[in-house]
Amino acid sequence: MRTLMLKLEPVVWGLFGAGMFVAGLLYPAFLLVATLMQPLGVLAPDALSFERAHALAAHPIGRVVLAAAVAFPLWAGAHHVRHVNIDFGGIGRDAWFGALCYALALVGSVAAVLAVARL
Amino acid sequence: MSLRARVDAMKGSAPPRTRTADPAPPRNFPFRGNYLPYVAFGSCGILLFAVGFGLLRLVWVLGDGDATRWKAIFESYRHPLYIVFHAFALVALTWFTFRFFRLFPKTQPPKLGPLPRPPDAVFLIGLGAAFTVSTLLVGLVLGGALP
Repeated sequence: MRTLMLKLEPVVWGLFGAGMFVAGLLYPAFLLVATLMQPLGVLAPDALSFERAHALAAHPIGRVVLAAAVAFPLWAGAHHVRHVNIDFGGIGRDAWFGALCYALALVGSVAAVLAVARL
Repeated sequence: MSLRARVDAMKGSAPPRTRTADPAPPRNFPFRGNYLPYVAFGSCGILLFAVGFGLLRLVWVLGDGDATRWKAIFESYRHPLYIVFHAFALVALTWFTFRFFRLFPKTQPPKLGPLPRPPDAVFLIGLGAAFTVSTLLVGLVLGGALP
């Protein structure tokens, strides 16, 4: 498992870097608007209504942005969490813990592609 | 008359270990020097997981075509625990982003294609501008100000 993860490191690094950018550029605005302003009633009630959100998400650009916004940051998260675990727990359990982190990111990425395909 | 000493007489039967002990964190880790922000930066990976899977849940519900569940999710976001968590995630991920932007120029090679690497300030201004534009754009679209 460790050898496989070492071989996949360049691929993971690419996904990790993309995830850092995508999360940095999209998540603060998403968190501010969708998870704080909307529930607190700052926005117009229909700004994130189901119909409008569906229309935005189902647009081809919306699908690509959403798939990227879900999938790439999961890889960045997986890589970060794996390395925090190495810092605190040593390299000993990295083989299974790292594999678990990347497996979560992979499952989430596949689910993201399926989710936007269903829109 | 004694025999001549063999030069490999003291050589071990197996190659020696290159380390005397497994790698271990430095003393007082992570509460000394720059370790705390370093660990906090890495720990933001948990938030990336949380927000990423939260967004996935929203997209999945949109795909189900279930407007009632969609509304219920936003109703649940009014819970104080959700508000505190999302506010924390917003602050933490914004800090995370700008720390990443600060680190990014250091990861670049001395030459980018045929051109020499620009000064760090150029990267920082470019990344800061990209952050501002994307945040405004996403905010305006999600907020309903842009179609």
